[in-house]
Amino acid sequence: MVDLSQYLPILIFLVIALGLSTLFVFLPMATARLTGVYNPTAEKLSEYECGFPAFEDARSQFDVKFYLVAISFIIFDLEAAFLFPWAVSLGVTGWVGWTGMMIFLGILAIGLAYEWKIGALDWD
Amino acid sequence: MNFATSLMLIGAELGLCLVALVLLLLSAWLPRAAARVLTIAAASALAGASIYTLALLLNGTAGPDANAFGALLRLDAFSAVAKLLIYLSTFACLVVTPSFFERRGQYRGEYPVLLLFNAVGMSLLVSATDLMTLYIGLELSSLSSYILASFARSDMRSAEAGLKYFILGGLASGILLYGMSLVYGFAGSTNFDAIRTALAGELGTGALFGIVLVFAGLAFKISAVPFHMWTPDVYDGAPTPVTTFFAGAPKIAAVAILTRLSFSAFGEQFAAWQQIVAFVALASIVVGALGAIGQENLKRVLAYSSINNVGFLLIGLATGTAAGVSAMLIYLAIYAVMTLGSFVALLMLHDADGVPMETFGSIAGLAQRKPALAWALLVLMFSLAGIPPLFGFYAKLVVFQAAVDAGLIALATVGIAASVIGAFYYIKFVKVMFFDARPSSDARAEVARNPAGHWSVLAASTVLLSPLGFLLTPAMERWAAAAASALFLTA
Repeated sequence: MVDLSQYLPILIFLVIALGLSTLFVFLPMATARLTGVYNPTAEKLSEYECGFPAFEDARSQFDVKFYLVAISFIIFDLEAAFLFPWAVSLGVTGWVGWTGMMIFLGILAIGLAYEWKIGALDWD
Repeated sequence: MNFATSLMLIGAELGLCLVALVLLLLSAWLPRAAARVLTIAAASALAGASIYTLALLLNGTAGPDANAFGALLRLDAFSAVAKLLIYLSTFACLVVTPSFFERRGQYRGEYPVLLLFNAVGMSLLVSATDLMTLYIGLELSSLSSYILASFARSDMRSAEAGLKYFILGGLASGILLYGMSLVYGFAGSTNFDAIRTALAGELGTGALFGIVLVFAGLAFKISAVPFHMWTPDVYDGAPTPVTTFFAGAPKIAAVAILTRLSFSAFGEQFAAWQQIVAFVALASIVVGALGAIGQENLKRVLAYSSINNVGFLLIGLATGTAAGVSAMLIYLAIYAVMTLGSFVALLMLHDADGVPMETFGSIAGLAQRKPALAWALLVLMFSLAGIPPLFGFYAKLVVFQAAVDAGLIALATVGIAASVIGAFYYIKFVKVMFFDARPSSDARAEVARNPAGHWSVLAASTVLLSPLGFLLTPAMERWAAAAASALFLTA
């Protein structure tokens, strides 16, 4: 049974962090309204883009290729994150650890081959 | 640790996984026309996995101490029976799929691959005896389900269904993980048996929160009220073969793991989760029965019907007895056949251009146009309603019997009342098909011909649900009792 009471400081920390961040958001709003400087105009509410009038809507569509690259990146980045602790502890895990990682890499390689063949890695 | 034994116990999953990986590569290299060959290969792999599991079950290898990989997975009678149900319903879904997508030119070799990975995830899920393997199995199955829901990617509704399922499924996974982390924090282990020992006695507030959150996460996966909102939208938007799959195998897997988790990990805390399960069961039955009444779309009606059926399943769980679990397993098997049959019948309702007939209006007078299809639907609908000579009646009977024996008379009474309400829309199917006039405008298209695969699945499920199904009851009762008692050996 884990003794949770030793984590009480973290709980207090979380409560304080939450309280402070709420304060930072709502205190300026309340101050502005109560002191009477709250006076929105179209200029004030429009987005700021280096002093120019905004060129376009910020919610534009991205090409789906960016997402494909991002997803592939996450997978291989995580693979690297798994490889480091595996490499360090290979002396302890021995052949069992080696085989397990090779199976994992094999599955990833099959995924990469599939991705390559169907052309998900081509930009055009 | 004996690796050979462990690998032998998960042989079915290993085989499916290898076949899926090979098929994945083949689907990229072979032309798209080869998709049908890949489907046949995937179906044979599923058949092989069923035979392998059945063999392990029959020769006594599958037992309470058949632990694999240091008690991460266990192949007992319960998981073997659940796996067989999963493999068989996935197999039937593969049989009815290709022609639907081929008609639209959307069929690809990735479909059987996704279904195989889904089956691997589900069978890991039902044999999990550790929170980690539970989560991995659940995610492997869910992630491929999200892709399947949006498989017809040029179709707006299918893409929407996939996105909706993904976002809400991600939320449910988050809730489940939060609950698991609380349970782990208070029990100090992720192993079900260790959790059971650690949580014995008085339950603290934190651990109770953990249990509640885990139940909430799994209730989402089985689409029980109040976590059912996604079901009609996803079932309606996803392509019909995918909906056929969703209503069958993933639900069997999620109900099975919920049962295993309740009895092995939280077995000492029956009083804590019984109220949750009883409430969820009651709410699902009532919402499922009432929600479908105003629906015009047939797929949405069947989606509410599946919510309603989950409620009946959970009555078996709420009893907390071996008899209740065995009744639940019988209901699960019969439900799988009923839902498979009714969605396949829906799949067969399309005109020559492949435009589906998805509303009550379009099946008016079906009995004159396609008498065989109409009579099969009649058997399926009366069976879902639980009308006596058909096999669906037996499923409801055993569940209510178990509830009454366990003293849950109020739950059984409400269940019976709600199944009378639910009978309204099942009988509406029959009324519209047999007694409504065929629309006068001849512009309305005819029901097109269907491949033999569809007819054979429909015929098989209709025969199983007809009074002939009662011949199976002794065998079913024996299997279900063996599977249920496997869960209670640890008690």
